[in-house]
Amino acid sequence: MNPVPDEDVMLQVRNGEVDMLGLLFDRYQTPLYNFYAKMTQDRVISEDLVQEVFLRILRYRQTYRPGTTFRTWMYQIARNTRIDQVRKTRPETPLVTEPIAPTSLSDSAQHKQEAATLQRALMYLPEDKRELLVLSRFQELKYDEIARLLGCEVGAVKVRIHRALQQLRQVFLQLESGAPATDANGALEDSRPSAVPPGRRLQ
Amino acid sequence: MNCEQIAELLPDYLQGSVTIDQAGQVEQHCQLCNNCAQDVAMWNKFALVPRLQPSPESRARFEAMLHAYRTISDERAGSVETARKSGKLKVAWSFFDWFRSPLGAAAWSVALLVIGVLIGARVGIGTKVANVASPSQSEELTAVHSELTNMRQLVALSMLQQQSASERLQGVSWSGREAHLDPQVQSALLHTLRYDTSVDVRLAALDALSRHGSQPQVRQGVVDALQEQQSPLVQVALIDQLAEWRDPGAAQRLRNFQQTPNLNPAVRQRAEWAISKLQ
Repeated sequence: MNPVPDEDVMLQVRNGEVDMLGLLFDRYQTPLYNFYAKMTQDRVISEDLVQEVFLRILRYRQTYRPGTTFRTWMYQIARNTRIDQVRKTRPETPLVTEPIAPTSLSDSAQHKQEAATLQRALMYLPEDKRELLVLSRFQELKYDEIARLLGCEVGAVKVRIHRALQQLRQVFLQLESGAPATDANGALEDSRPSAVPPGRRLQ
Repeated sequence: MNCEQIAELLPDYLQGSVTIDQAGQVEQHCQLCNNCAQDVAMWNKFALVPRLQPSPESRARFEAMLHAYRTISDERAGSVETARKSGKLKVAWSFFDWFRSPLGAAAWSVALLVIGVLIGARVGIGTKVANVASPSQSEELTAVHSELTNMRQLVALSMLQQQSASERLQGVSWSGREAHLDPQVQSALLHTLRYDTSVDVRLAALDALSRHGSQPQVRQGVVDALQEQQSPLVQVALIDQLAEWRDPGAAQRLRNFQQTPNLNPAVRQRAEWAISKLQ
């Protein structure tokens, strides 16, 4: 039996069957959590943000229009929630620049280290570029969905993703070689990895 | 194909939405061009990043939020219904009664006259009058934000009163979202810090309050809570918090506290350490 489409479930929620939101929570809490984890590198903040998204869905359920893709609408709310969170916390994010020690490692340990470097590199990208990569690669949103989300042309999304990927590659290489992660144009000077308490940091 | 042409295909190639021919072109180019090959390799590296699972409490937290939301909605619906039945209907009837009175009839005539004049003036002036300024977008946004803040506060307050400790814990976590602590939520949190039966909930309340140390009432409330705590764990956490805030006024209270008979030695030692830090 096919699962009930998200849009039908959301319409039920909109019509007052708020318990049905549990179904959407089960479907999307993990993707949303991963979206925020990649954006913030902080487990606690990510979980808080997921809860906040569902509170907002509940509160603004009447604004959901039939025919709208639920996923796009939800990510729109998720982005706004994140923007509000950044606005509140930005002044408290100092720069973290400890280089990763180059050592010879077994394959799996090396993969782990590469993954960790990659996540750090993501944090050095400006928020909008990081978001594009996370949405397209980890959340597996299609370019036309992202275009709807950002309110721009699909072509523009593709160009921006390619640029973001190139910038990420630069930062990744710099981090791997132990150099401080800034590019020649100083384009990264405003993007700083968040200071995450050690216990909450992602592995 | 050169790099520019490949760049147009590359994003679609990365998401696997190109034809077999196009994929072949990209791969062929990447064998010759290190730069483009590295872009592809970078994209593939993302596969190394593990997919994370939210904590098991996440679902329970959602349930608690949903429950609190339903409770608030029901209460609101109930009060609106009562108001409608008792108040608004009466207002409507008294309005119609007034309408039929001689004074009402006179007012009605004057109102009609004014409406007539206004319509005439408006037609004369044309469309210029029609451009009435709508409330700015930023005002709307502010309204949305304050509405959400209220909602979160209501959820927090409702959850702080639940029977189960885990729901109260969720209540504490909802309460800590705002940069500015609402006075009602603040007093609920201070009450929780002093009287909640669960050590975990009391500790969580302290954690939520710790972000609002700039407010004198919060610091005062935390000092007051120290006297009534029985759990050494919470006592130590409170002492640490006071030391962290570096409020010199707390030193005297800590000295008094240190004199409490039967105090756990570790707690006494911690208090000594905090006093030395505050001096």
